[in-house]
Amino acid sequence: MNDLLSLDRRSLIQQMLALAGAGAAVGFSPAALAKAAARAKPYLSPTHFALVTAVADTIIPRTDTPGAIDAGVPATFDALIANWASPDRRQQLSQALSEIDALAHEKKGMGFAQLSATERLALLTPYDVEALQVVPSPAGGRGLSMMRGPTFANPGYGKLKELIVILYYISETGLTHELTYDHTPGEWLPSIPVTPDTRPTGGAGLF
Amino acid sequence: MFDAIVIGSGMSGAIAAKELCERGLKTLVIERGRKIEHGVSYTDSLQPWELPNAGMVPEEEALRDYPVQSHCYAMTSANKDFWVKDSEQPYSTPADKPFDWIRGNHLGGRSLMWGRQSYRLSPMDFEANAKDGHGSDWPIRYDDLAPWYDHIERFIGVAGSKEGLAQLPDGEFLPPFALNDAEVQFKQAVESKFPGRNVIPGRVANLSKAQPHHEELGRVSCQVRSLCERGCSYGAYHSSLSSSLPAAERTGNLTIVTDAIVHSIVHDPKTGKVTGVRVIDANTKQGQLYEAKIIFSCASTIGTTQILLGSTSEAFPNGLANRSDMVGRNLMDHLYGLSVVGVLPKGPNTFYKGRRPTGLYIPRFRNVSEPGSFLRGYGYQGGASRMGWRSAALGKPGLGADLKERTRKLGPWMLYISGFGEMLPNPDNRVTLHPTRTDKWGIPIVHVECAFGSNEQAMTKQIIADGKAMVEAAGGMVVNTNTTPSTPGLGIHEMGTACMGKDPAKSVLNGFNQAHDIPNLFITDGSAMASSGCQNPSLTYMALSARAAHHATEFLREGKI
Repeated sequence: MNDLLSLDRRSLIQQMLALAGAGAAVGFSPAALAKAAARAKPYLSPTHFALVTAVADTIIPRTDTPGAIDAGVPATFDALIANWASPDRRQQLSQALSEIDALAHEKKGMGFAQLSATERLALLTPYDVEALQVVPSPAGGRGLSMMRGPTFANPGYGKLKELIVILYYISETGLTHELTYDHTPGEWLPSIPVTPDTRPTGGAGLF
Repeated sequence: MFDAIVIGSGMSGAIAAKELCERGLKTLVIERGRKIEHGVSYTDSLQPWELPNAGMVPEEEALRDYPVQSHCYAMTSANKDFWVKDSEQPYSTPADKPFDWIRGNHLGGRSLMWGRQSYRLSPMDFEANAKDGHGSDWPIRYDDLAPWYDHIERFIGVAGSKEGLAQLPDGEFLPPFALNDAEVQFKQAVESKFPGRNVIPGRVANLSKAQPHHEELGRVSCQVRSLCERGCSYGAYHSSLSSSLPAAERTGNLTIVTDAIVHSIVHDPKTGKVTGVRVIDANTKQGQLYEAKIIFSCASTIGTTQILLGSTSEAFPNGLANRSDMVGRNLMDHLYGLSVVGVLPKGPNTFYKGRRPTGLYIPRFRNVSEPGSFLRGYGYQGGASRMGWRSAALGKPGLGADLKERTRKLGPWMLYISGFGEMLPNPDNRVTLHPTRTDKWGIPIVHVECAFGSNEQAMTKQIIADGKAMVEAAGGMVVNTNTTPSTPGLGIHEMGTACMGKDPAKSVLNGFNQAHDIPNLFITDGSAMASSGCQNPSLTYMALSARAAHHATEFLREGKI
């Protein structure tokens, strides 16, 4: 079972920092990133497309299973910006990317996409923790609150990460290598044993 | 000249048409939306990664064309064509009283996207108005409708368990979609700690096991995909397209016109009867008159109201069949969106297979086995599931290999229950025609004024309190509550604006869904409801439609109408 029940933020942060310090050697090199980011005609500027590619690779790197780049997330993200996002949303996501890049320049003296995978993870991990602090939701709003989700300290980064994660986990790659998905289960079995091989089921549903 | 005209092809209209056709009446169904076809118009074959924009409707489009429809949980990029563009078909509300009118204008209407939960009203529900004096006393009682519930359940196929509960009568069920282990644990905790409360499998119009009479219509058993709102190519849930219209069609008595927007129903003051329906072609805007011996209005609650109020004449200056001034009044929905979510740290170490098209149901217990500080009551829908990839990946910070690792593991059990509360009939909750604004076909738009009252507010508090207590009784840690009901309308159970009743001065329809004022006009959609119960109402609309079709045919044959 995953540890969603651990709500102790301090230990959580320590855990994250420990992971960053350990420098998990996963993800693409800057040169490989640049190659992965070479897309025919991205909607995003080359700089932002390279940034999205680097951020996606940092959030979901290739490990013993394929990562976001393998799943084509930079390209599907680019398509979302072109076809789904409103001008306000584009601005919000663009700013979120620029802020990450600015952080890299400030701390490391170069762009985020130019950093090694280890450096990217070390830089983004504490940033992620700060950005995703849950703050009180603004009053009002219609529709179902569960569909709206929490409000984060840095909503732009929160949305950026959410989109990257969703695009990965509903990709054929994510549903094949990380989760399981059966389009036509064919039967309802209300109780089956959990084994070491049991994986969560994926799909586009709310839960 | 037809024997019968049915306005609307949705949940109630297609059943009315089927029943009329099966009794030998040449029947015309008039649908304002476009023609869509079973199977070919569905998107249920799309894999998750094939969904346009990851299932999301483009933000600007949602804001521009679907500002209301996009509030509905069931709308995605895969089925957005099943929803009315609010921008093209406007309605108005007072600024401080929003109302979400969720609509689907196409052949089959909202039966394509419905939630499929199917519960009978009980004897208590048909007696409620008489007992506490709110609304008009139903002219029928449970026993009048019970055989028609049987009839509809058999035809549409409802999966459910027999429970022997007075407040939620059993029906003709297919095997239930059984509770999973965490739900069984919840059931045991609730039923032992709160005697009189029950946790049962949600009753749902999906074929858990298709019967020969379903297969004759090309319907097969549910494949447990939970993609219902995109349309089901297996025909595994009841919709007009999969089920009732094909049954009507095979009689050879059915004619359908689509893109035909009803302008008005024509009344002949000499005979006192209605003679036909004037329609406007949605595309060419050309007018056309269809005539018949009897007319069923099944245009949905607000749609029927709009038609009646717009069909004025010297005999009916305030709208057709409206001598009582009750047309448009007593608009009800259900209290909706009042949810409690808990995590079960000690949930069972098991899983399940399949995406079941239903969950659990907690039948009403307030003012049944336990008192309430309000009139009437509520039930809950919900379910338990292992928390999925979204919450694992996004529920807390974390990146990289760690995020992948935790998302690969099975999540804890999450328990979710959401109250559906009965809304009292209130004549001030009302649909009228806008005095000046018309739509692009020149028809006055509707103005909807609807708000919850003090009884609903008292009920709201108790829904949340009881919900929390039940989740906690099962060892659940409450992590989220939604304590404000959704905007009226979003329950998508709007009803009541042409109420049935015994007194022609205080109601619109008699016990056969026949207009008090007009013998050959029948109304069997949600507008006929004299009270709302707390149960999902579509099953009742269908039972009323079948019953009314039976009696209308008898009256016609006896020369009474």
